[in-house]
Amino acid sequence: MTLSHYLIVAALLFLIGVFGALTRRNIIGILMSIELMFNAANINLVAFERFLHPAGSAGSALALFIMTVAAAEVVVGLALLMAIYRNTDTAYVEHFNLLKG
Amino acid sequence: MIELAYLIPLIPAAAAFVMLFGGKEDPHSPMPWVGIAAMGVCLALSVSIFWAAAAGTVALPYEHNWHWFSFAAQVAGKPFVYDMPIGVLIDGPAAVTLVVVAMVSLMVQVYSVAYMHGDIRFKLYFAYVSFFTAAMLGLVASSNLLVTFACWELMGLSSYLLIGFWFEREGPCEAQKKAFMTTKLGDSGLYLALLFLYAKVGSFQLSQIYQFFDKGYMPPMVATVIGLGILLGAAGKSAQAPLFIWLPDAMEGPTPGSALIHAATMVAAGILLVSKTYFVFLASPTAMEAAGWVGLITAFLAASMALVSYDIKRVLAFSTVSQLGFMMCALGVGGFTAGLFHLTTHAFFKALLFLGAGSVIHSVHTNDMRQMGGLSKKMPLTFVTMLIAILAISGVPGLSGYYSKDMILANVWNHDHRMFWILLFTALMTAFYMFRLFFLTFWGDDRDHEKFHHAHESPALITGPLVVLAVFSAFAGAGLNHNGLVYKLIAKPTISAAATAAPAPGEHAAAVEPAEHSSAHEAAGEHGEHHEGHLPPWLHLTTIVLVLCSITLSFFLYRGPTYAVADAVKTSLAPLYTLLERRWYFDDFFYALVVVADKVAALAFWIDDNVVDRVFVDGWGLLMRIFAQLSDLFDNVFVDSAVDGVGGLGNDVGVGLRSLVREGQVQEYLMYAAIAFSLAATLILTR
Repeated sequence: MTLSHYLIVAALLFLIGVFGALTRRNIIGILMSIELMFNAANINLVAFERFLHPAGSAGSALALFIMTVAAAEVVVGLALLMAIYRNTDTAYVEHFNLLKG
Repeated sequence: MIELAYLIPLIPAAAAFVMLFGGKEDPHSPMPWVGIAAMGVCLALSVSIFWAAAAGTVALPYEHNWHWFSFAAQVAGKPFVYDMPIGVLIDGPAAVTLVVVAMVSLMVQVYSVAYMHGDIRFKLYFAYVSFFTAAMLGLVASSNLLVTFACWELMGLSSYLLIGFWFEREGPCEAQKKAFMTTKLGDSGLYLALLFLYAKVGSFQLSQIYQFFDKGYMPPMVATVIGLGILLGAAGKSAQAPLFIWLPDAMEGPTPGSALIHAATMVAAGILLVSKTYFVFLASPTAMEAAGWVGLITAFLAASMALVSYDIKRVLAFSTVSQLGFMMCALGVGGFTAGLFHLTTHAFFKALLFLGAGSVIHSVHTNDMRQMGGLSKKMPLTFVTMLIAILAISGVPGLSGYYSKDMILANVWNHDHRMFWILLFTALMTAFYMFRLFFLTFWGDDRDHEKFHHAHESPALITGPLVVLAVFSAFAGAGLNHNGLVYKLIAKPTISAAATAAPAPGEHAAAVEPAEHSSAHEAAGEHGEHHEGHLPPWLHLTTIVLVLCSITLSFFLYRGPTYAVADAVKTSLAPLYTLLERRWYFDDFFYALVVVADKVAALAFWIDDNVVDRVFVDGWGLLMRIFAQLSDLFDNVFVDSAVDGVGGLGNDVGVGLRSLVREGQVQEYLMYAAIAFSLAATLILTR
């Protein structure tokens, strides 16, 4: 098990996240895909720490920090989602086109 | 006392300003006495300097300079600092001239108190006279040619103001303009000469310029150009041919002012300038010869014109021109001492003649000699003093004019015999026309009874100066000639380079030879000059006899009571008479010249207006306009469309790309962002 294996797993996970975020119609699914991308980044951080700076703890600390931020963010996101759902009666993002550019 | 020499020009200048700005204009203002007192102090200073110089208790030349200003300049890439001092340089000629100027000016001012009495610009007149004299004294005493030139121009201004003093009348206005413009024509030559001199020498200090010439650094060609320029300036100021036309008209001013112009200031300045820069002429035989001939021609022409004039002041004016010609001729033939000696004696008797004529005019209220006659009975004092002056100017032995004119004739004789005979003939004409004036004015019976009846002797303020000047006219010549004093005071300058640099012609070498020879004995150059200052005895005697004959001829023609013989001569020589009366057509010539110049200027203006402006200026403008329009077209069509094209392309691409996205679809936005990001990342990472 080398650093590359971890990085490949993280990259695959990130791509799955991207794919999900671009293709899921349901906004719950999109939020879950975003969580996947966060976790891909976390794997990278922890893997880099483990293989490049085993003595340090900055990578795992940052991973923990990201998890916390992600949890908080999901709270805000779900709250917004609830608000939108009550107004529009749908959870599909193609219907969320109020902010036309 | 000589340390106070700098005060001599400053005192009358200060007096002039006091008189100009102090007090109120009043026909009976006491202000003139300020000027007279100032001039008295000046005279006292000048006499003390002269006395010390004559007695030999003070070494001349005395020079003292003060710092004036300096400036830095680049010459051939190297920085130089030029110093311009201001100071006094009193040499022998200056010592003599200061006395003459101060004396004549003092006499003129005292006389003017009576003569100008009751004039509406009484005070102003005296301010002008003081200022005039100050400028002349400054010119004489200055050690610096720049200051000399400034004084020279100040005198031009003063003469303009004095000649046009009665500017309400047309005559003085025309005369002052004529005088100013004619002298300025000469000044342009002097100005160029001074610039040339400064460019060559790098200093305006007379002593330094003298050193430059003495060492022979000045190429003869340049010296000739400078000399001719100075000569042109002197010809304007000293009324030499052909620029003498202003002086006869300058009579329009007040008569004592004319006396000042003719005797002490203005016209003497030209001669003095030549004498101050005599080394230039010594370095250039051409300029020297030119000065001699200009003087000779002037003397002859002016004397001939004086023969036919009936205006008493005009005769005197022509005689001044003629006598100045004598001086210039003397300087030109190398008679430095003779020329300045004559300047001195002439100042006294010409001032006397003018003041005497003023006294006569004051008494009979006319300038026309045909309306005078027999005035000797009415004005005995004026008569006697005028007679002394006329005898002096005619060159009758014993009086001052005799000594100086004799010396000039001797110098000319030793230089060139042809010039001598012309000059002798001029001297005879001088005697003739002066006695013609004398006989017409004072002799015979009264021709205009009413004028004669009202004639009276002038007051003491007028006759007093006449008597003083008469004493000087009578004895100045003999006094200065006594024991060769004039040679000692007015020593001819020499430049050591001239003997070697100039390719000496026969006579020149001969003139140098005896001087060197006699230096083995006593009194080196003095002996040689004394020799130049004497005619051969037989010629001397002939000259005196001829002058007396000329006077006798004048007596028979003009003693009255009828002038049949004179009239007969006049009619038989009608063409010549007209020629002289028209002043050899000099005035007409200059008038025609001005007219032609005006026409040429008009033509040049027309060409400028119609050819230069139309073709070149307007044509160039038109060409530029066409070019600008072409440029504008190019800018609009090509440059602007390129700019618009780039902008439009960006716009089109943007619009095209936006049409790919359905509005409001966040996931599509995100997809393009992801594609762009991955493209950018690929590009950066694979570089």
